[in-house]
Amino acid sequence: MQGIQVSGQVPRRTRSKGQRRLTKLQPYLFIAPAMIFYLGFLVYPMLVSLWTSFLDWDGLSANYTFVGLKNYTDFLFHDDVAQTALYNNVLWTLGALTIPTSLGLLMALILNRRMPGTLAFRTIIYAPAVLPLVSVGLIWSWMYNPNFGAINLFLHWVGLGNLAGGWLSSFDMAMPSVFITYVWGSVGLPMILYLAGLQAINGDYYDSARVDGANAVQRFRHVTLPGLRESHVIVLSLAVIGGFKVFDLIYTMTYGGPGRVTQVLGTWMYFQTFQYYHAGYGAAIAWVIASIILVLAIPYIRHMSKE
Amino acid sequence: MKSMLRNLAVLGALVAAPALAQDIRLAGIFDGDGAAKFQTVIDAFQAANPGMTVTMENTAGSGAAMYPDMLRTAMASGDPADAFFMWGGTVAGPFIKAGQVMPLNDVYKQYSWSERFPKWIIDRLGVDGKTYGVPFHGQGMGLFYRKDIFEANGLTVPTTYAEMENVCTVLQAAGIHCATTGGKFGWHVMRLVDWFIETSCGPDVHDGLNALTESWDQPCVVASYQKLADRIAKGRLVPDFLNVSPDDARFAIYQGKAAMILEGPWFEPAITDAGVDPSVYSFFLPPTDHAPDRYSAFPEQWMIAAGSKNPAAAAKFLDYITNAETIKAHPDAFGASATIGITPDCAKLPITCQIVDITQSDRPAYPPTDQAFEKELMDTFFEVQDGIVAGKLTPADCAALMQKQAAAWKAKQG
Amino acid sequence: MQTAPRPRMTAGSWLVLGCMILLSVVWLLPFVSVILTSLRSQGDMMMHGVFTWPEKFLWSNFVKAWSTGGFGIYFKNSLFIIAMKVPLGIALASLAAYPLAKMSFRGRHAIFLFFLIGLAVPVQVALQPLVLMMKALGLSNSLFALLPPYLAFGLPLQILVMRGFFRQIPTELVEAARVDGASEITIFRKIMIPLSVPPLAALFIIDTLATWNEFLLPLVLTSASDSRTVPLGLLQFQGEHSSQYTLLKAGVLISIIPVLIIFLFLQRYFVAGLTAGAVKG
Repeated sequence: MQGIQVSGQVPRRTRSKGQRRLTKLQPYLFIAPAMIFYLGFLVYPMLVSLWTSFLDWDGLSANYTFVGLKNYTDFLFHDDVAQTALYNNVLWTLGALTIPTSLGLLMALILNRRMPGTLAFRTIIYAPAVLPLVSVGLIWSWMYNPNFGAINLFLHWVGLGNLAGGWLSSFDMAMPSVFITYVWGSVGLPMILYLAGLQAINGDYYDSARVDGANAVQRFRHVTLPGLRESHVIVLSLAVIGGFKVFDLIYTMTYGGPGRVTQVLGTWMYFQTFQYYHAGYGAAIAWVIASIILVLAIPYIRHMSKE
Repeated sequence: MKSMLRNLAVLGALVAAPALAQDIRLAGIFDGDGAAKFQTVIDAFQAANPGMTVTMENTAGSGAAMYPDMLRTAMASGDPADAFFMWGGTVAGPFIKAGQVMPLNDVYKQYSWSERFPKWIIDRLGVDGKTYGVPFHGQGMGLFYRKDIFEANGLTVPTTYAEMENVCTVLQAAGIHCATTGGKFGWHVMRLVDWFIETSCGPDVHDGLNALTESWDQPCVVASYQKLADRIAKGRLVPDFLNVSPDDARFAIYQGKAAMILEGPWFEPAITDAGVDPSVYSFFLPPTDHAPDRYSAFPEQWMIAAGSKNPAAAAKFLDYITNAETIKAHPDAFGASATIGITPDCAKLPITCQIVDITQSDRPAYPPTDQAFEKELMDTFFEVQDGIVAGKLTPADCAALMQKQAAAWKAKQG
Repeated sequence: MQTAPRPRMTAGSWLVLGCMILLSVVWLLPFVSVILTSLRSQGDMMMHGVFTWPEKFLWSNFVKAWSTGGFGIYFKNSLFIIAMKVPLGIALASLAAYPLAKMSFRGRHAIFLFFLIGLAVPVQVALQPLVLMMKALGLSNSLFALLPPYLAFGLPLQILVMRGFFRQIPTELVEAARVDGASEITIFRKIMIPLSVPPLAALFIIDTLATWNEFLLPLVLTSASDSRTVPLGLLQFQGEHSSQYTLLKAGVLISIIPVLIIFLFLQRYFVAGLTAGAVKG
């Protein structure tokens, strides 16, 4: 259907051959400026890193050895930490898909209404995202500090002192604790995207739903949720991407520890590349991360993109 | 037309510039204050050497974790600073191995640096008979303790490991933790483990363990881990410290909840910076019950990049900043200097003075394990250490696991 | 907002309001540590802990943080980068998103998916090639070295978002304009952009923030202090062996002010009915 519009066979004016060719080229001209930057400064470095992933290279010297797929097979079969990291990423992604996204939707729905203080609430919920990450790590290390942290102080204050603990220092609690910080910091983004999405829903749909006698829950299910379809695509794919690329929070809050229980693929790639001087192996991990994301997110985006 | 000519003139000047002036780029990790102090030294150098300009590029950051990343990327891209700050031992190892650092044996002769620095420091900076760095700091580590707490409990500085145990028992009865440590990054707790290994295994075996020529799966290593496990079990260390950063661990000693902390000379100015009273702090080396009675120490150095366009000028600058005259003229810009005969203002920094006297002497020192092991193996060491602290591993398991990983790592190196 | 009837506060609304206030308190708690720490002396914090009331308020921390951190130059650099990068990036992305959403042509899906790949790849692996490229382009160690990679790395998300929202604009509007002989660029300027104010505002907020706080690229691409940005300025307070927490926190508060202002300014475009009305009209 849209093919007809673009080549525009129904214009009132007749067009010359040259004009028609231009019309055909138009979509590509729109895309070209973005594509040039994208190819030059993202795709090219990525291809370099793809090549690196087939090398045994310290990332520093002039010499390297081509090892083919060895880095990838090592990752799959000979790396215990990678298994831990992958497991953590899967759990993290499941959490990221459900908790901050549904909280963000809830916040958007509440704060899209006319209610006193909307501006303040929106700002407060979004505020954590404004902080630089060095600072988020430091703030929450203090919140969780076993000796002077706000959480233990609070627990003692309300008489639940027996629940106070080491949080980030505990093998079992470290990962959930970091995830709570993540939730705190990442409700704002889906909220903003859902808020923007809610503006695009035509108010008439609600009116006709009301006329048809739909109650609030039905209106939410049949008007709001489908209307937010494009927002869902963005929010959920970002959750998957963020879930497998998570790096900064772990790096600043736990450094992968205690032991190696909070290692994720992102930090493991960093440790391998920058600290162990295995640039080839690090690049291979990066491409494992990318492949997982592509395999999970692209079919979903494609499916949702069908008219 | 006129502007074009002017542009040409500017271009000409730019092209001609390198022949006239000598630019030296430095990379380091000074924080805001430190950079300002060091700038006075740079200014003095530039005044004394017309035509030479020195630019300092600093990458600070907690534990300076970002700095090696930056350095490595700059080097691999062929755009390194001429001279750069570096820690000793295995931290510098990959840079040397990759051929990114210039051997300085000739420069050592030219400036007679061999006489300027203590032998142990120069030895630590050497690899296969070549020396790659100029010593900057000699950092000796030991126990900072609260004199007031010791006095209040009738305690004196322990001279044997048994006395040390007694100190902890007395403190614990008084409701004070013996020491505080922060487990994030691993290296702060490592200092304790290193001391336990030196005590249990003695100097020779400890050196063999660091060189991986001794098996880690032996009774003295088990005993070392047992010492850590006992301290945890008895609550001698401020608890739940595994992901507390080393900086945050200091709160406990400032607040008098713990009496000791294992640190180096940098801790003395840190006490003052923290805004607490430095006069109640003193220092001793932890007893190991061995002869020689070694302590943990490491050098910090300046290296010259193999890709430097101006190595001679860089060497000249490094000679200038390690020269006794320069350091005396700028006492605040240098910490525990590695230059023999140079101490900081002993009225202002008495403990640093005391440590520098030790590090500049011939007293033997052992390296902290993180400058003896490469980082990849080091992270196994940290993992094992965390396992003990959390009670997930027994000391015997730890020793066996360390040996297994060390053997695997050694095999991989070929 | 002005034309809307006064909100009617039912019992349910009050309950929701109460919950939101409670949630806000919890949400703000971590900020309390930043504010308390920025306002006290280092000694006071070390002796009494972070979550205690300061003995004395030290407003001078802010002055000191500004000067020790050398924030003047970092602010100028960061603001410059944002002023260049954010509008340009969003313009490029919107241009590319328009045909991807509203035209039919060969390779449409493939191009879209090709852009998405950029979202999946971690930026860390691109660092070294980028440094080499900037050296080849003669941009080493310059503020301008940040601009092209920032643009490139921002595009995938922006294209995903803009394409999504462009798709929601009724195709009839676009078709009608085409029948009227409007050129594609006119349709883009006169229909797509005006009808996409909320997502554009959202992208401006997200992108400003991401750029303002981005840390890795300036770390490796700029080493001279006069071409560095705010996040690196904050490092000045963290030495090798000790940190000036109070100044760091004062610096953090200073550094978030511009982004907060941008947020407060742009969030007013999230007002129910703004676009819906326009489409109807």
